[in-house]
Amino acid sequence: MTYKTTSSLTFSILLLGSGSALAQTELMLWHMEQPPHRVERVQELLDAFNAAHPDIVVKQEPQNWGEIYAKAPAALAAGNGPDLLFAIPDFAPILKEIGAVQDVGAFVGTLDAKHDLLDSAVGSYSYDNGVWAVPLYNMAMSLWYHKGAFEAAGLAAPKTWSEWQAATEKLTTDGKYGIGLPASKGLYTDQVVYNFMVNNGASELYNADGTFAFDNPKTAESYAMAAALQKFSPPDSAGWFWGDAEACFASGTCASILQFTTITTYETQGGGDAANLGVAPIPHADGESQHNTIAYANAVMLLSDDPAKRVAFETFISWLLEPANYGRFLNMEPGLFLPVTADGAKADSFWNDPLVQKYKPQIETMIANSANGMLFGFTNGRTFPSIAPISGQNVLSEVLQAVVIDGVDPAAAVTDGQARMQDIAQ
Amino acid sequence: MIKRGFLRPRSKKAADPGVGGNGLRRRGLSERKLALLFVTPALGLLALTLLWPLILAVDLSLRDVRFIGKPGAFVGLENYSDVLSEARFWQSGLRSLIWVAGNAVVQTALALAAALVLHQSFPGVQIARIWVLLTWIVPTVVVVIIWRWLLSNSGGMINPLLMQLGLLEAPVGFFSSRQSAMTTLILINSWRWFPFVTLMILAALTRIPGDLDEAARMDGAGAWQRFRRITWPLLQPTLSVLLVVGTLLSFNVFDIIWLTTAGGPSGGTQTLPVLIYETAFKGYELSRAAAISVLTGLLLMGFAIAASRSMTREEGA
Repeated sequence: MTYKTTSSLTFSILLLGSGSALAQTELMLWHMEQPPHRVERVQELLDAFNAAHPDIVVKQEPQNWGEIYAKAPAALAAGNGPDLLFAIPDFAPILKEIGAVQDVGAFVGTLDAKHDLLDSAVGSYSYDNGVWAVPLYNMAMSLWYHKGAFEAAGLAAPKTWSEWQAATEKLTTDGKYGIGLPASKGLYTDQVVYNFMVNNGASELYNADGTFAFDNPKTAESYAMAAALQKFSPPDSAGWFWGDAEACFASGTCASILQFTTITTYETQGGGDAANLGVAPIPHADGESQHNTIAYANAVMLLSDDPAKRVAFETFISWLLEPANYGRFLNMEPGLFLPVTADGAKADSFWNDPLVQKYKPQIETMIANSANGMLFGFTNGRTFPSIAPISGQNVLSEVLQAVVIDGVDPAAAVTDGQARMQDIAQ
Repeated sequence: MIKRGFLRPRSKKAADPGVGGNGLRRRGLSERKLALLFVTPALGLLALTLLWPLILAVDLSLRDVRFIGKPGAFVGLENYSDVLSEARFWQSGLRSLIWVAGNAVVQTALALAAALVLHQSFPGVQIARIWVLLTWIVPTVVVVIIWRWLLSNSGGMINPLLMQLGLLEAPVGFFSSRQSAMTTLILINSWRWFPFVTLMILAALTRIPGDLDEAARMDGAGAWQRFRRITWPLLQPTLSVLLVVGTLLSFNVFDIIWLTTAGGPSGGTQTLPVLIYETAFKGYELSRAAAISVLTGLLLMGFAIAASRSMTREEGA
């Protein structure tokens, strides 16, 4: 090979190299899974993806749920926003309203055909003739209970409200509480309250025309039941957030709680006896027949209208939802994040985690419960922009506080709650 | 306060026409212009970091902006009239006053007691002076975690302790009613901030001449009389400054309230800063939140002006 040929070849290789580097599409991912072990797991997955896809590079910037509601719109307005952003359903409408979110309906359809996505998860992001995010993982509440405490009292996991009330009353003895129910002003209380509503046929906040459907006898009954059970909760439960309920359960002070999961806390602080950890569907009202629950489908939004970034986004998410990778993604927090795909629910990569294996029966029950998941403001395709501030201002828990703390009659509190929703919506 | 003629040369060197104010004055700069020249960079920085955001906040309060990054139409004073006609604004304002007054009383009492003790000579006083500052050094998040855990019904120490002392018959929820939540929060915040006030009072105590106390002692004055007639009057200037600074600081406290109760239960600890945050970032009503901020700012500015005038008058008298 002559010097000239060698030089030309080298130059061509360099040119090709630089050409491919120039063609590399960069995606910036913002997510709110801040604990270091979750960030580390996400990075492992990104490294694997980036290595397998030299034309795409995905980078992560962990964010804080407390700040993202203000930070993301500001960053997008300043032109420094991410390309991909994790979301929960009530966050998506805010970004959609400022015109930042891309419709991913066609892509979700393709994924659904391949992996069979959970309908309720897709439903939470389907409105205004589009699908605004790709569901990635699910969180659904269940009734967690100490089997030993229930058995010692001659009780089984309650199925109906009357059984539930009798059980909590019986289990509330000296320094022990039958149930730990929050009555604070916060998202946890919103979620717990909605569990009562969906199990009493009061799941809708809106009518089809956008007017409110909150003020009805079923909702008032749900609040009355929540307040009745709250009496069997520790006195400080009116100021509880998620961690307080888990601490109460892990310490054995509370015989049962409503929670997305208690597995990690129970394992590290509650003794870790898997045989004693009970999980059951949330009891329904006596007149109802189906156990429902609140479910949060976490998802990822595409915020860039660049066609190359859309292709890269679809490549990345398709790769992530492959059963071989998906389980590793879900197990960044074992026992909390549930699959939203049918093949993901069977994936070895999911079930092979040691903690998942240890609590396999509990996780199977969690997955089964999540099938009947609903989320306030995101049911039946009736999603209206006012749900974001209604959720943000925790109106559902404000109503419970009026009943529990101020002693307002549930029906009157619900009427006031609807008035507050109308005020916010205006 | 800048006194006229403060730049007058006091030494021969300073009187040198080539050096200092006179030299510059000869080049056409009056004393006033010179002073202005010196403060201009600081004023510029203040304008950039304080005045400009204030102007933007006022502008925002006159528009209808709900989210960051979304334009809003000019609505004039509509946000102000909405806010002023809203019961939540007045209730939060009242809670802010209770919060400020509660903190002022508890912090001053704790700090005065601690400062008087630490002003004495006893073995280990130096360590005690450092030790008392620890609660002030601890980050707010840690303070909140510690106190929420101590007050919890699941493993917390306070309830069992009070029950053992016979002060409680059964465990209570410290954040379960409006009154108890506000009281508990005031105590936690005072616990956190009283070391700062202690430090200020301790510094003031060290400036009180010892011979005054000694003379009173020789005249037969008791401890209480010496405190009432000497220490207390001489602490007044420091306490007045602390009242103004403490009020402004306490009024604007957001983190400890938000992290502990998030304004609950049932709005019982929703002070104005909490209301502003909720309105802006939970209710997505940026303009309305800006209007509340402007009104709150005016209220605090009015208080600061009135307090500093009152102090100036006292100094004059």
